[in-house]
Amino acid sequence: MKNLSFRVPLLVLLLALGACNGGDQSTSTEISHSVYRHSMDGAPNNLDPARSSNIYANFLVVNLYDTLYRYKYLARPYQLEPNLAENLPEISADGLTYTIRIKPDVYFIDDLAFPESKGRLVSAQDFVYSIKRHFDPQTRAQGAWLWQNRIVGLDDWKANGSDYKQEITGLRALDGRTIQIQLISPYPQLVHTLTQGFSAIVPREAVEYYGRELAIHPVGSGPYRLLSFNTAGAVMVRNSDFRQEPFSLENEGYDPASQSRYGLEHLEGLTPPFMDRIEVEFIGEDAARWNAFIAGELDFVKAPVSQFDQVLESRNPLVLKPELAENFHFQATLESGFVHTDFNMDDPRIGYHPNPETNARNKALRCAISKAFDWEKRNEIFYYGIGQVFPGIIPPVAPEFNPDQDRTSIIRDLKAARELLKSHGWTADKLPDLEIGFTSSVTERQMFEQFRSFMADIGYPRGKIHPLTFASYGDYAQAYLNREVMLMTIGWTMDYPDAENTIQLFYGPNATPGSNTANYNNEEFNRLFRDSSTMLASPARTEMYRKMNQIVIEDCVTISGISRKMILLWNRDIAMLPDRSFLGGHFFRFAGPGKANFKNRQEE
Amino acid sequence: MRIILHNIIHGLLLILGVTLISFLLMVWFGPDQTYTLIGKNATASQIMEVRHELNYDQPFMRRYLDYLVELFTLDLGASNSSGEQVNSILRRTLPVSLALMLPGFIIGNLLGIVLGLIAAFRKGTWSDRLITGLSVTGMSISFLIIIIGLQVLLSTPYGLNLFPVRGWQVEDLSSYLAYVTVPTLSLILVTLGYNTRFYRAVFIEESSREHIRTARAFGASPATLMWRHVLKNSLVPITTRIMFSIPLVVISGSLLIESYFGIPGIGKVSFDAITSGDQPILKAVVGLTAVIFVLIQIATDFIYRLVDPRIS
Repeated sequence: MKNLSFRVPLLVLLLALGACNGGDQSTSTEISHSVYRHSMDGAPNNLDPARSSNIYANFLVVNLYDTLYRYKYLARPYQLEPNLAENLPEISADGLTYTIRIKPDVYFIDDLAFPESKGRLVSAQDFVYSIKRHFDPQTRAQGAWLWQNRIVGLDDWKANGSDYKQEITGLRALDGRTIQIQLISPYPQLVHTLTQGFSAIVPREAVEYYGRELAIHPVGSGPYRLLSFNTAGAVMVRNSDFRQEPFSLENEGYDPASQSRYGLEHLEGLTPPFMDRIEVEFIGEDAARWNAFIAGELDFVKAPVSQFDQVLESRNPLVLKPELAENFHFQATLESGFVHTDFNMDDPRIGYHPNPETNARNKALRCAISKAFDWEKRNEIFYYGIGQVFPGIIPPVAPEFNPDQDRTSIIRDLKAARELLKSHGWTADKLPDLEIGFTSSVTERQMFEQFRSFMADIGYPRGKIHPLTFASYGDYAQAYLNREVMLMTIGWTMDYPDAENTIQLFYGPNATPGSNTANYNNEEFNRLFRDSSTMLASPARTEMYRKMNQIVIEDCVTISGISRKMILLWNRDIAMLPDRSFLGGHFFRFAGPGKANFKNRQEE
Repeated sequence: MRIILHNIIHGLLLILGVTLISFLLMVWFGPDQTYTLIGKNATASQIMEVRHELNYDQPFMRRYLDYLVELFTLDLGASNSSGEQVNSILRRTLPVSLALMLPGFIIGNLLGIVLGLIAAFRKGTWSDRLITGLSVTGMSISFLIIIIGLQVLLSTPYGLNLFPVRGWQVEDLSSYLAYVTVPTLSLILVTLGYNTRFYRAVFIEESSREHIRTARAFGASPATLMWRHVLKNSLVPITTRIMFSIPLVVISGSLLIESYFGIPGIGKVSFDAITSGDQPILKAVVGLTAVIFVLIQIATDFIYRLVDPRIS
């Protein structure tokens, strides 16, 4: 009765507006099983592979274009898999020459950019051209860092004016299908870089035809082609000419013990992409994203932290609420990255100081601050208590992570912190003013206040800890890349599954404006990094990584870290295993209708 | 003729003033996009390259003059973020924002006028108090709460589940109504209070004038008083309010509505441009808003003369 009395006037109002279109509406919220509707909590910045610098852009780019390699869909830990390449590369004994054959008969999609609008064969020259674009200032590319000072002649090509007619010794197409890359020194992560959207292959004709608008007119050879793209979302449709490569569970690294519940078996032997159409919605607002998912307008959602109470029955173990478990698959997965708060070592108030005594005092201060930081509370309040706190800079998702690492650096120890301050002459009046940088938002401000309360517990006066707020991330980045922020919190998403990608964040020569935002410069660390950077994955290299991790912990350069846990929910009618790790996105081609719907579709 | 010339010269000066001040703010206080466009591990020379590409290394006056040329030739360049031509962005998003905002704008104002009239004519009675009370209540509720509340109420299984939560796949009238209804209701709810209170004040002021008392003395019916004397004589402030709201409807759209309902209009594009410092888009939006304001000012002057012949 209560409900009825509430609904009647409302319905009258709606009818008066003439807007209620009952029958039609039901069709728009029902699931069409050849359509997969994905949601993202942000929007792509640009669909030109050379400028696809955020994870959201990468998701689309790797489906619209081809990359030479990708990761196996189901294998964990991640394993490289040829994509456009025929096989894994042939690597010379000295590790300097990579030879890669691409698959035959792969075509770009039909597009106005080509003569008679007919897509042409993808060639090795296209790959060479696509990498060269990163070193052409006109492109405003953002991926050059992956190959900078790595490939013979590439940096010189740029220095000589980026003339595309000029050949590069280290980056050549030996014939229509063979690529040869010559490195200056061994670069074990090279193949990983060839899985990323940055390395996707674009045809020169499209770049010349669309110019900067290539960003909204992708012309690739990937499993999907773009139908529409705007600030609210993108629609991709199946590329009907995509190469015929039957899906093999075994080849993709299927583990029946942990993955049989996702109902992927009926897709065995079929040819991806399985969905006719992929609709991707960019929904930054948590409430709107969740409402759309619950209303059945989306097939996938990364549950917002604010909804975890409504999603989870229990946190330990992680159990989904029964009413959701009935309709949705669920996966709790760690991000492939971490959040850390760096001290600016270039700031003499807290970092390096020419006077050895002050230098030692500063280190004691940094260590005291780290010891006073309460990771348990940070996790509990801001990450629902399900994030994984770990010591140092090698996050749990990295293959080189050490689960047995000493955890002292992440355990709050107020007594030790106070002793450190006392023994180094830090009294309340002598403690320096701390400036904590962050972008202006409620959550960031709350984190700042929490930090201030942690420090109050070791006698750090509240009045000496100041917020340094920035209106946008660009302003914040500008400030810390110009070394103007004393303490800064950074989230880092790994580009590939190799801890080198996080360790380089503390390598001296990468100091700002590079990604070493702490401006840390330790000779021993730098030496180990240089030595390990040319080594292939091995126990010896892992050992070196772990040593570097320990050095950073002992120098108290950063308060680190936490890997956030993501709760992914998706419709049981969709057979897939979604993945956001290492920029992600390749899984779209393997998303298929669930078994029941698949049968229906076959019958139709 | 003299008035038109005066308006045009006045308008041009206004455009120059608005563009100069806003460009100054963009350049000196707006976000520097360099740092969002550089890749990881950028070197100082790469940062300089990006700054050069963005024309940040040019003198301020040179950049401002380039801006004026772009504005007057309508060659607005391409977005620094997406690469799309600004003209194409405007062509794509402006019609969407118009289609989204117009129903709420029209219905909100019409309802505001009707409720304002009722409240003014029954000043001090329970119906006036009810309308005023509801208006204040509407004004006190956050726009965000209204949006989320209506979404849950009308578009999810927790409520009536009648409309799509978000999206804008408009193909015909029926789909248009499906997508526009909840945003329109939100817009009406949030603006109705302000509109009603504004129009009520206008009508009360008009009702207290001598000519209304005279009309009453002549025995004019309440309906005649309302429609013929009060409403007609209040058309100047009504016109002013409606006309000067138009640029906001056309250009600014509504960021919150577009974001929460997933509608690809100009509001979200403008907001993203402001937060990221995408100057080509910002320059276009600011410039166009100034131009539209000037055109509306000229049009409003004409309408004033139409509705009130005393204005010369």
